[in-house]
Amino acid sequence: MEIFWIFAVITILGLAGYGLQILAVCSYTSTSPLNSGEGNALPRFFPTISILKPLKGLDDNLFDNLESFCNQEYPEYEIIFPLQDHNDQAYKVARKIKEKYPDKDISIVVERCDEGLNPKVNNLIPAYKIAKYQHILISDSNVMVDRNYLRDIAAPMSAPGVGLVSNLIRGTGGRSIGSVFENLHMNSFVISSVCFLDKFLKMPCVVGKSMLMRQDDLEAIGGLKAFKDVLAEDYMIGKLMHEHGKKVVLSSHIIENVNHYWGLRKFINRHTRWGKLRWKIGGLKYLSELLGNAVFMSSLPIVLWEPSKLTVSFALLVCLLKISGDYYVGRRVASDLNPFLYFLAPVKDLMIGLMWFVPLMSNTVVWRGNRYLIGKDSVLSPYHGDSLCAWRCKVADAIKTRNGVRQYQHL
Amino acid sequence: MLLCDFHIHTKYSDGSVELRRTVDLYGQAGFDVIAITDHVVNGDNTIGRLARRFRFSVREDNFDEYISRVREEGERAMHKYGMLVVPGVEISKNHLSSDKSAHILLLDIKEFIPASWTYEKIFLAAKEQGALIVACHPHQMSDMSRNTLFLWNNRDKYARHIDAWEIANRDDVFNVISLKKYPYIANSDFHKTRHLYSWKTLLNCEKDIDSIKQCIRHNKGVAITLFRN
Repeated sequence: MEIFWIFAVITILGLAGYGLQILAVCSYTSTSPLNSGEGNALPRFFPTISILKPLKGLDDNLFDNLESFCNQEYPEYEIIFPLQDHNDQAYKVARKIKEKYPDKDISIVVERCDEGLNPKVNNLIPAYKIAKYQHILISDSNVMVDRNYLRDIAAPMSAPGVGLVSNLIRGTGGRSIGSVFENLHMNSFVISSVCFLDKFLKMPCVVGKSMLMRQDDLEAIGGLKAFKDVLAEDYMIGKLMHEHGKKVVLSSHIIENVNHYWGLRKFINRHTRWGKLRWKIGGLKYLSELLGNAVFMSSLPIVLWEPSKLTVSFALLVCLLKISGDYYVGRRVASDLNPFLYFLAPVKDLMIGLMWFVPLMSNTVVWRGNRYLIGKDSVLSPYHGDSLCAWRCKVADAIKTRNGVRQYQHL
Repeated sequence: MLLCDFHIHTKYSDGSVELRRTVDLYGQAGFDVIAITDHVVNGDNTIGRLARRFRFSVREDNFDEYISRVREEGERAMHKYGMLVVPGVEISKNHLSSDKSAHILLLDIKEFIPASWTYEKIFLAAKEQGALIVACHPHQMSDMSRNTLFLWNNRDKYARHIDAWEIANRDDVFNVISLKKYPYIANSDFHKTRHLYSWKTLLNCEKDIDSIKQCIRHNKGVAITLFRN
C-alpha cells in the first residue's frame, strides 16, 4: 500500500507541475500575435536579416516550408540554403524555390564542410561566411511560418540588451502514428516545458528551429565554430548568450513544425537522442522529467504492487486529466490534431517514460551512420569502440544488421 | 535532368493515399514529372470482378471524372511546384497464373480502354490516342505474388508494340531488360508513402508531354536513379 501512496503523491505533484506549465503556456498564447492579432502592437523594427536554412534530405512538407520564407511581409532579407552536396534530395527542392521566386534574394551554397562533428553546424558554417547582414536567423528546414513571422521575431531585437529571439513551436500534420505521437509531444511536453522554464524559472531554453541574433553577439561567444562539436548547439548558444549578459527572448509567435509521415522508429530515435542531450546537460535535473510524467508514475503501482481497483482507477483518472490538459494546451496553441487523437496521449507518455531510461544506459548517438560519444554539455567526440560500453554498442549494431538482413530476406 | 515517376496509384484504385495528397507528396519532394496510373482491371475473371467490386479499379463509368481530376491536379501542381502530372492508367490483366498476367502502363491516355480487350486491341487503341505504352514489372520480382510475366514470356510477339519496359520497379531491378537493350524507365509503383523512396527515372528533355514521350521512346537521355532520403 505504501508503494501506491508514494507514487500517488509523486503523480499529484507531477500533475501540479503540469498545471503550472499550462499556466505558462496560457501566459504566452494570450499575448501571441498569431492568435490574438496583437502583432500590429509590436514596435516597428525591420533590420535587414540573413536567413540561414540548412538543408539535409527531404523533410515532410519541405517545398511549402521553404516557400513560406519567400512570402514574408518584410522589407529586406536574404535566404541562404546551405547543403553539403549536390546529390542531396533537398537540393532540387531549393533550386525549384529559387526558380519560382526569381525576385527574392535567394542563394544556394553547396559546400562540404567537415569542421566539426555536428552536421547542422557544419552545414551552417559556409552559409554564415557569406551572410550579408548583421542579423542572422537560423531556421530548420522542417519549419513553416506565416507571413508576419520575420516582423514579429525582429521586433523584440529593438529592445536594449536582447541578444537572441527564439519561438514557440507547434507540431502540425500527423498522418501516421509516429507523427501523431510527435505532435502530441511537441504540443504538450515540449511547448509547456519551454514556456515554464522561461516564465517561472527565467532559464533560456532555446530550440534551434528558429534563432534570431546578431553576428557580433554570436562572435562574442565564439562564433558558430565554437559549437561545431556540440550536439545541442541551440541550447548552448542560448545559454552562453545569457551568461554573456544578453537577454534571450521567447517570442510568442508560434511557428509550425510539420510532421506528416513519421514512423514510430523516427519518433523513438529523436526522443532518445533528445533525452541523452538533456541528461548530459541537466544532470540530476533530468530526473524531474520522469517524476513529472504523471501517466507513467501513476501506472507504476499497477506493475510494482498490483492491478487492483484502486491502482487502475487512479491511473485511469490521471490519464483522463492528462488527456484534458493536453487537449487544452493543443487548443491554446491552435493545434490541428483531431480531438480523438488526444486519447493516444497516455500511450505516448508511457513510451516517453520508458525511453527516459535509455540515456542512463547509453552515452552514444548514431548520426549519419557514425556513432559518437556524448559528453558533458552534449559535447561530441568520435567513438572508437574501445571504451567500456563498446560491447553494448556492438551488440546493438549486430542486432540492427541482423534485422536489416531479415528485412532484405523478407523482401 | 527531370526527376520522374511514371507509376503511381491513388485511392482511385488500390493506393492508400488520396490523389491530392499524392501530388503534394511528390511536389514537396521536388519531382518534375509524375504520372498517375491507377489500375484498370479486367472484369472477365473472378480476380478482376472482385477488384472491381471492391473499387480497386478505375471503371468506364468513373474514367472521365478520374481523368478530369488528374488534369485539375496537374494544373495545380504545375502552378505550385512546376511539376507536370501526366494522366495514365495501369491496364491490369490479372490471372491466377503469373505467366498469364500482365500489367501495362498507358501514359497520356485520353479515353477509356478496357483491360478485358486483347493485347493487340489495347495496343492499337493506345497508339491511336498517342499514349505511351510501358510494360510494368515484366520479370521475376522479390514479392513472387506480384509477378506478371506474360509480356516478357511473349516478348517476341509484343515487344514491337511496347514503347518502354520497366527496368526497375520499387526495389526490384530487372537486368534482362538491359540485356535485351529494350527502352527502359524505372518507377516506384507507388501505393504507400514509403514507396516514394525507390527507383526513379531521370530524363534529359524538355518538361512537356511530347518531349517526354519522345525521349522515352527513343531511349536517349534516359537514366535511372535510386531515390533515397
